[in-house]
Amino acid sequence: MGAFAAYTIIGLGLGGIFSLAALGIVLIYRTTGVLNFAHGAMGMFSTFVAWQVFYGWSHPFWPTWLSTLLAVLAGLIFAAIMGLTLEFAVFRWVRTREPVVKAVITIGVLLALQSAASLIWKNNQYHLPIYLAPQQATFQLAGVPIGANYIVIVVMALGLAFGLGAFLRYTSFGRAMRAVSDSPTSASLWGVPVNKVSAVSWMLGSLVAALAGILITPFINFDTTSLTLLIIDALAAALIGGLVSLPLTVLGGFVLGLLETYPTIWIQSLGFPRLVALLVIIAVLIVRNPRGFAVVAK
Amino acid sequence: MTMLRVRDATVRFGGIVALDGISLDLNRGEILGLIGPNGAGKTTLFNCISGVIRPDHGSILFETNDLTYAPPHERARLGIARTFQNLQLWGSMTVEENLMVPMDALGRRNTFSDALYLPFSAYAERASSERARAILHVLDLGRYARTPAGDLPAGIQRRVEIARALAMRPRLLLLDEPAAGLDAQETAHLADLLHAVRERFHVSMLLVDHDMSLVMRVCDFVYVLDFGKLLAHGRPAAIRDDPKVIAAYLGEESKKPAGDVATVATPREGPPLLEVDRLAAGYGGLEVIRDVTLSVRPGEVVACIGANGAGKTTTLRAISGMIHARGGKVTFAGKDVTGSSAERITKLGLVHIPEGRGLFPTISVEDTLRLVSNTAGHEVDPAPAFDLFPKLRQRRRQLVGTLSGGEQQMVALARAILSQPRLVMIDEMSQGLAPTVVRQLFDIVRVFREQGIAVLLVEQFVESALDVADRAYVFEHGTNALSGPAVELRNDRKLVTGSYLGTAVDATAIAANGNGHHIDPALMEILSVRVPAKVKRALEERAENEGRPAGAVVVELLGKVDDQ
Amino acid sequence: MFRVLAALVAFTVLARIPVGFDVGFKFDAALAVIWAFGLLSLVLLTGYVGQISLCQATFAGVGAYTAGLMVAGFHADYLVAVVAGVAAAFVLGVIVGIPALRLRGITLAIVTLGIALVFDRYVFQDHAFEWFTGGTAGWRVDQATMFGLQMDSSKHLMAAYVVLLALFCVVALLMVNLHDSGAGRRLRAIRDSELAAATMGVNLTRYKLLAFGMSAAIAGLGGSFYPLVAGSVSPQPFWLFTSLQFAAIAVLMGVRYVPAAALGGVFMAVVPDVLTRFGHGTFMGRAYDISYDWFQIAVGVLLIVQLIALPDGVWGDLRARALHAWSAAGALGGRKVKVA
Repeated sequence: MGAFAAYTIIGLGLGGIFSLAALGIVLIYRTTGVLNFAHGAMGMFSTFVAWQVFYGWSHPFWPTWLSTLLAVLAGLIFAAIMGLTLEFAVFRWVRTREPVVKAVITIGVLLALQSAASLIWKNNQYHLPIYLAPQQATFQLAGVPIGANYIVIVVMALGLAFGLGAFLRYTSFGRAMRAVSDSPTSASLWGVPVNKVSAVSWMLGSLVAALAGILITPFINFDTTSLTLLIIDALAAALIGGLVSLPLTVLGGFVLGLLETYPTIWIQSLGFPRLVALLVIIAVLIVRNPRGFAVVAK
Repeated sequence: MTMLRVRDATVRFGGIVALDGISLDLNRGEILGLIGPNGAGKTTLFNCISGVIRPDHGSILFETNDLTYAPPHERARLGIARTFQNLQLWGSMTVEENLMVPMDALGRRNTFSDALYLPFSAYAERASSERARAILHVLDLGRYARTPAGDLPAGIQRRVEIARALAMRPRLLLLDEPAAGLDAQETAHLADLLHAVRERFHVSMLLVDHDMSLVMRVCDFVYVLDFGKLLAHGRPAAIRDDPKVIAAYLGEESKKPAGDVATVATPREGPPLLEVDRLAAGYGGLEVIRDVTLSVRPGEVVACIGANGAGKTTTLRAISGMIHARGGKVTFAGKDVTGSSAERITKLGLVHIPEGRGLFPTISVEDTLRLVSNTAGHEVDPAPAFDLFPKLRQRRRQLVGTLSGGEQQMVALARAILSQPRLVMIDEMSQGLAPTVVRQLFDIVRVFREQGIAVLLVEQFVESALDVADRAYVFEHGTNALSGPAVELRNDRKLVTGSYLGTAVDATAIAANGNGHHIDPALMEILSVRVPAKVKRALEERAENEGRPAGAVVVELLGKVDDQ
Repeated sequence: MFRVLAALVAFTVLARIPVGFDVGFKFDAALAVIWAFGLLSLVLLTGYVGQISLCQATFAGVGAYTAGLMVAGFHADYLVAVVAGVAAAFVLGVIVGIPALRLRGITLAIVTLGIALVFDRYVFQDHAFEWFTGGTAGWRVDQATMFGLQMDSSKHLMAAYVVLLALFCVVALLMVNLHDSGAGRRLRAIRDSELAAATMGVNLTRYKLLAFGMSAAIAGLGGSFYPLVAGSVSPQPFWLFTSLQFAAIAVLMGVRYVPAAALGGVFMAVVPDVLTRFGHGTFMGRAYDISYDWFQIAVGVLLIVQLIALPDGVWGDLRARALHAWSAAGALGGRKVKVA
């Protein structure tokens, strides 16, 4: 029983990671209409910027908390700028195109960011010890020790989900964001400042990606490809949430985390969990599809 | 004999019952009409018959075949073809290729032999190509055979869709709102076309549309749906007088006297609120409007009428900033707004409700109305809108995308009122809506006037538009040729019954029968589109003076031109 | 007929090019054709039928591993190995096509992305599949026989290149014919409007599965020559990012046009190598070194720019301009000739 509980806890921890990653994707999709394949890559890049500040540019005599703070701030500010740049340089010009075209554009962003990171930081393994809670602090749950930082991730995922969800549903700016993603031309006819709203949407999405990246990296391999490849698991969680509901996305993340962890009781394999994620995606998509044809609108 | 037999068809989408035990019979050689309010289940029934959706319950029999489990391509093979309301042509292929696909699909073609261009394939290709051209010729589309379907204007595309369906040699043709977006003249063409198709191709038809003139003219028998249930069925004349149908769908006949003089006659004084001077605009390399001049005074209701393609929608778009003006000037409330952004113009108090209503499918009614901010920039309380449209209050939490067409239009109008604008431009308010709903909406326009809001209205329903308007402009290929007080234009019976715009059609028929002249259909088009309004008027006047049909005069004149 | 001539001419010209260059360049040339097959597979699947796929490199990889298995494991003649590779890829393609029957657009992209990732991280790397992949080192193909001739070391590169090129020209020709044929029309109808295609008699299931299968087979055809050309198979050339690059470059060059695939293949194989070989030195006193990463950055940026400005791709744009100029000249009585 103890082993099962342990696996459950690990699975939930993993799920928290997926949730954080997926939240940003759903947020961007709901506010810009773009399915951002480059989400992981964006988070990765911002996290590397934080790393750079933490290790490369901090003064060795500074207390850890100061370095941490500056690193996180740097990462977030960079993320905001990256989001703004994407809006002004890229997505502003393709607002009226089909969703598929915009998604393919994000593949271009993915490739460019990936290689840029590879260029700057090479292909080494790194370590970014940014912990919001003391590393040693652990809780006991059903006899299993859980790191405080796992809790932080879960809490953050839930907090963001409900906070952002409420923001989108109940505030006027949130409504404006949803309107712009539904139909930019109609939105401008309604007097909504489409350019401004879009810019904020991308900035916000990028910030969430950076936040997720910074929190997640202590728990996974930190190199230029790992976060990017998390995209499949993040997409699976996002699809469980229907690409609409933020809280459901978090739930989806947890479910996925459990589904990926339990099989490791029997199958020891690095790659197998990816298969699980894929099967989940397929299952969700087939189940969700309306009966007969998904009529026209592509 | 019964060709199509639908029994007890039931379809549920989530919690909604789209079709509730519908039974329908179609006999060979019949043209059957299917009418009813939006959301009544007409398209769902269509989709069931053509195989796009499988009913939860019930059966569909076509001749002796049970269709219930057959996939769409099977039904095509059995002889059921359809056209689509929103045009599903294969835009990247030529018209000819569009027709060849259904032909090939029913024959025996082999992918490998095609790739290797074996002699069998080459022969089959030529045969198909010739048959396609034959069909195109009958429908007068021969000259478009090599044109990519996506490049054609919408009216021609509709005919191509019908041609494509006919290429399949179907026994049953399903037509989904074939008259949507067509003006009076084009609809008349369509009615004739459908009759001709039945004669020449021996096809039975099932027709869905909102245009009652088309339905009455063309259908032998009519079924009326409402809320997924069968409301009534019978001959068109009987249906038109059926009180249940009138209540649910048709509304009272508009046999009002020409204009209610008291409310309409007072011309508004004061400087114009909106002034448009020689506006020119277009899309890509095409110039659609070249010299539009109009004005709207505060509190006035002005209508813009005219054939499809004349530039009415483009004019509104150029005024509101949706597209860029290429020439001319737009002044609103004293400010020059030519080339300003749509957001800025809206904030100044000029609201544009575009074709398609410009709403957001995934946002709820209430949230949509809250999106509105008045000219002062503050958020507005949606309550007054719910007073005006009680139906919307019931649906306040519903996503706009799930509302019926009429309800969506109400949301659009509600938003317009809430933002307290000075001028509202409404483009094709009545498009795709049931007659009762249309009447309700035109009443709302009167509410606008009561509140002192000016209205610029683009409409196909010439009668209703002129009933509610103070003045009107008549658009013709890129400019507005005629204008005047609505009362006058309403009394101009030729204009109202569409014969003004359709003079050439009648002329052709008369000329061919009466004087023995035969007119090339191509000429028909030229006459109706390219002759300026004033010239047509002159021709008609002359025809009247000489006591001959107008068409004969035209033929004679053209003969003289040829001689020269 | 004109097309057959054009293909023959292209073949004879291109076949001579690598003669006289070093081994490295010959390798690039062969690789260019292998990648061109991958891009060609996308022209069929996405350009003609409108189905998005982000796992084409996976099909090529399956072809490669199957061929390697055949040679290293069963000592088969290379011709047999290629056929096996194509068959395996075809089967996988049809299997992948099954979810595609119900999905389109972005959701299909996501599923194929997942498949690419699963194969990349799991099938090609996990020891549970060692029987297929030949272990972490992959299959080594030092010697192979094709048509009874012995092929080994660098001598065979030129021969392999010529064979690949010939095959490419044949397949390209077939594809261009297919485009204009009845079957091609049906495929294009699926792209333009699935709904209309189905109701007009096109059997969607049959054609979509066929499209996926044939597309995978084309990618697999190129891939199954990889062990011969490179001497061994490993997961790296067929990983997720290659699939993404395929998608990016196919779109960049023009996903509806066969010659664009050829162009893209050259782009993918030759440009990075040229950059790394000659792209270093000093500029204004500072040392610079253009590595492969720069190439991929360029691909990403170019893709973004192209989607914004030239929706039909580089070849599509060139072709449109050429046709425009031709039809202007055609007013003087020239014939309209469509090549590709």
